[in-house]
Amino acid sequence: MKLRTARLLTGVYLVVALVVVTWPGMVPFARIRPMVLGLPFSFFWVAAWIAGVVPVLFLLDRVERRHRPREDA
Amino acid sequence: MERWVLVTAIIGVYLLATLAIGLMAGRRASRSVAGYVAGDRSFGLLVMYFVTGATVFSSFAFLGGPGWAYSRGAAVFYILAYGALGMAPFYWMGPRIAELGRRLGHVTQAQCITGRFPSRTLSALIALMSLVAFVPYITIQIRGAGIVIEAVTEGHVPLWLGSLVAYGIVVVYVLASGVMAVGWTNTFQGVFMVAIAWILGIYLPFRLYGGVGPMFEQITAARPELLVPPGLDGAGEPWTWGAYSTYILVSVVGLMMWPHLFMKAYTAKDDRTLRRTVILFPTFQLFLIPVFLIGFSGVLFPEAPPTSDFILPFMILRTDLPALVVGLFCAGALSASMSTGDALLHASASVVVEDGVSRYVTLDDRQQRLLMRALVLLTGATAFVFALDEDSSLVQLLATAYGIVSQLAPPVLAALYWRRATTAGVLAGLVAGWATAGFFYFQPALKPFDMHEGILGLLIHVPVLVLVSLATKPQDARHQAAYFGDRIESAS
Repeated sequence: MKLRTARLLTGVYLVVALVVVTWPGMVPFARIRPMVLGLPFSFFWVAAWIAGVVPVLFLLDRVERRHRPREDA
Repeated sequence: MERWVLVTAIIGVYLLATLAIGLMAGRRASRSVAGYVAGDRSFGLLVMYFVTGATVFSSFAFLGGPGWAYSRGAAVFYILAYGALGMAPFYWMGPRIAELGRRLGHVTQAQCITGRFPSRTLSALIALMSLVAFVPYITIQIRGAGIVIEAVTEGHVPLWLGSLVAYGIVVVYVLASGVMAVGWTNTFQGVFMVAIAWILGIYLPFRLYGGVGPMFEQITAARPELLVPPGLDGAGEPWTWGAYSTYILVSVVGLMMWPHLFMKAYTAKDDRTLRRTVILFPTFQLFLIPVFLIGFSGVLFPEAPPTSDFILPFMILRTDLPALVVGLFCAGALSASMSTGDALLHASASVVVEDGVSRYVTLDDRQQRLLMRALVLLTGATAFVFALDEDSSLVQLLATAYGIVSQLAPPVLAALYWRRATTAGVLAGLVAGWATAGFFYFQPALKPFDMHEGILGLLIHVPVLVLVSLATKPQDARHQAAYFGDRIESAS
């Protein structure tokens, strides 16, 4: 993947995550049911978007590293 | 032996271990300002991971988090929402800041900004406002430590004495060893916090309700309003979406602008370490899930703690866990407090000396370190006094400080990424932002949509920065080339 694309997609994920955990993006998900893993839906919703940051940044990093001239490998 | 004596003894052992680690760590650092403030830029991934995690999550999260879950329900999700989002931009910004630091010798945030926008006034202003934001934050930590100790000793050690002992120890190792001590003790404390949060957060719902699901089913049946965002406000009325959302926004913007966190960019040994720390940070952050569960487990409990910030130690003490386990849990809560408190004390002294005093008076390396140590004591003492007669909630104290800190984001971004920005623009923006935030802090009734005063400050700050910059003469090209390290000036 191109570096620009990877950065753009990461940026999009972060912005979307911010939108769906605040007003008005969160309103449709501000609910108790369905409960997931025993948690009220909105609790799970926020946690899932946060957990998603790890793989997103990890993938970005793989692309970024390919494009960096020799860093401490 | 009575149970509380045993618990106190365990906490005593824990405090001594922390002290020993802190003192030993300092022997590895060089006797220089770079050694005391930036740890000779030597921290590896393990230390950076725990320093960052343990520094971000403090008494605010560990005691205040359960406190909010308990009293304000879904409002607490805001604390879970902002951390990772605030940290992520540092994947790019961190290495850039670190590179400037290595090349131009920066160890503080104001140096990063004033390296680009040379102005003593700007530097001193940032130092002063950082200190204003730091004091309530340190107050939270000191109070948190006192709360834990008072609760577990069943009042035999009062809040003031517990705070004094715990922070006496913090001051000793910060004085002796600087950021090296902060790094290594935080690694120790970070492991403690995370392990304890997960164990207790899963254990309590199972012990009291037969599981996490059944616990939330029961809360839904009894108090459904508690579980629907944006939750409740401090008075138990429904909270507004405007406040909930802008609390998240201001924290996302402000998180890495905390000088003590920003400055950690200078402590990493290389860019790879810094980037990996950012990538892994959310894994640390998820420990807020069990932390909140601890608070929720108290909702239907028949007894209530004296204030909601006491809910965590309160719940621990009402389980039939062995004293050893209770002692370790409390040590975890103390870790949360002390691991942030030490970084804050250390950073506030560094900032005031580096960016305030030494811009006006010439001090050699040794005098600077001496003055920093005096300031660690002074700041600690001031916050200690506040900690004793403070009665607002831990979360509220920090949310207020974010109003100040978030205003540092536009100058940092302008310094790093906007070449047309000028010193006058940055100064004007900062003053306008702080004035606006301050105004709405004291006039909360006037806030549109109940928005956080920090966001209102930014709404004024950014246009002022942009307009004044555009209205003033662009910066000297050679100065910029030196700052950005442009190789061939004419090529850009």
